[in-house]
Amino acid sequence: MNTRVLEGQVVLVTGAAAGVGRGVAVAMARAGAVVGIGVRRPEAADDVADEVRDAGGTPVLLRCDVTDAVQSAGAIDQLVAQHGRLDALVHNAVSNRSSEPTDFENASLELWEEHASVTVRATWRLAVQAHPHLRVTQGAYLLMTSPAGIEGSAPLPFYSAVKAAQRGFVRALAREWGPDGIRVNSVAPLAISPALENLKATDPERVARIEGLVPLGRLGDPTTDIGPPSVFLCSQEARYVTGQTLVVSGGRFTSL
Amino acid sequence: MTALIIGDTGIAHSITQAIAAGTHTPNQAVTALTDTDVLDDPALAARALATLIGDDPVELVVLAHLDPTGFVSAAITDITEDAWDQACERSLRQAFVALQQVHSLVADGTPVVVVLPNVGAVGVAGLVPLCSAVEGIRVMAKAVARRWGARSITVNTIEVDLATFMLGGADDPDAAALLPQVPVLGAPALPAAPILDDVMGLIGFFASPAGRAVTGAFLMADRGTVMLP
Repeated sequence: MNTRVLEGQVVLVTGAAAGVGRGVAVAMARAGAVVGIGVRRPEAADDVADEVRDAGGTPVLLRCDVTDAVQSAGAIDQLVAQHGRLDALVHNAVSNRSSEPTDFENASLELWEEHASVTVRATWRLAVQAHPHLRVTQGAYLLMTSPAGIEGSAPLPFYSAVKAAQRGFVRALAREWGPDGIRVNSVAPLAISPALENLKATDPERVARIEGLVPLGRLGDPTTDIGPPSVFLCSQEARYVTGQTLVVSGGRFTSL
Repeated sequence: MTALIIGDTGIAHSITQAIAAGTHTPNQAVTALTDTDVLDDPALAARALATLIGDDPVELVVLAHLDPTGFVSAAITDITEDAWDQACERSLRQAFVALQQVHSLVADGTPVVVVLPNVGAVGVAGLVPLCSAVEGIRVMAKAVARRWGARSITVNTIEVDLATFMLGGADDPDAAALLPQVPVLGAPALPAAPILDDVMGLIGFFASPAGRAVTGAFLMADRGTVMLP
């Protein structure tokens, strides 16, 4: 497989400051892309831009709080204005509280809104904002969902529901946008996150137990394990793949 | 002992009527929450359900509700943010509020059945908000099934075709003509027959001793229209 499959292409990754989003952004850079680094605080993301540049890509730092319609539209417009096109949009951003256990039975609608605004409403809004550009390039819209959105997680019921909503969105929009030549897919990753990194420092045995459930024996690396399948789905190598969720979990989830 | 039906959809009304008639579940009382606007506010929902239920123990809950605007076919690029919210996110919020209230109402061991249309697992162009809501609610039900298992509360999902969900099996060609066409789902494998009977059979199973070990399950009652891998 050509490793520079995104040479000359322009990709926007939301939630790219850390974790999976950052890893995917770097992987896109390794594949040769101009990478729009969508973050809430671009002034604090120079290190991500450096990493993208070091990986062989062209970074564009963008202020993109996806719950703010003006900011997300502005991020897309700025990227297209600077580089002339948009080939793929990767919506990875999640609520800051996404990994926080949710007491469903006593939770508030305000907490629900925190999850839904980022993962459901922004999924729709970014699609609408990107559509004119993706139609021109016959591009791709990729959502980073979760195994929790497939099997349901007891401690994360809100996260499960909004991530599942993304899967329904992917299937339906793939059919709706197929005639425009735009592909819509999702990745359900199991990866090291900043929260797990912290846990590894404080409770390494617990992380070892989690890793023990993965047939490949480790949690995925955002750049080298989650990035390449994401690159594939955004590239023309996957030109006949749409409406799908690719579970990238080292075999942890085999029945999804 | 009472069955509680939540929803203002055709299938919710038909399930209520079937239980009241005793044709599928003899000797069971039934009460229905049809003013689903109260599900926009947890406090209102709690009051409405408390008034409906009174002191009667609830032995079965069926949640069969989605905002009807989700059933209007439209491209996502043609809808406003308010329309998106109503067609998709309102249904998700209301399902959360309904399930949250159910948890505080029911005794240990109560079966909860969620009924949805069979579009989410396949995806339908023009119905992106609906498909998103359906999948979100289906997995929300799985997550609470895991949470409530310790109380022996089962939570299972049945999916039916769009017409059955909206019309409840009523023979109403005019209303059926207004529903979105979904040729992508294909034709049912089994001959045409009232799907309400199938739904009531599955509800009866989930509520029976034979179904007490089944939770987090998802069954299609669409006569073989959607067959998942």
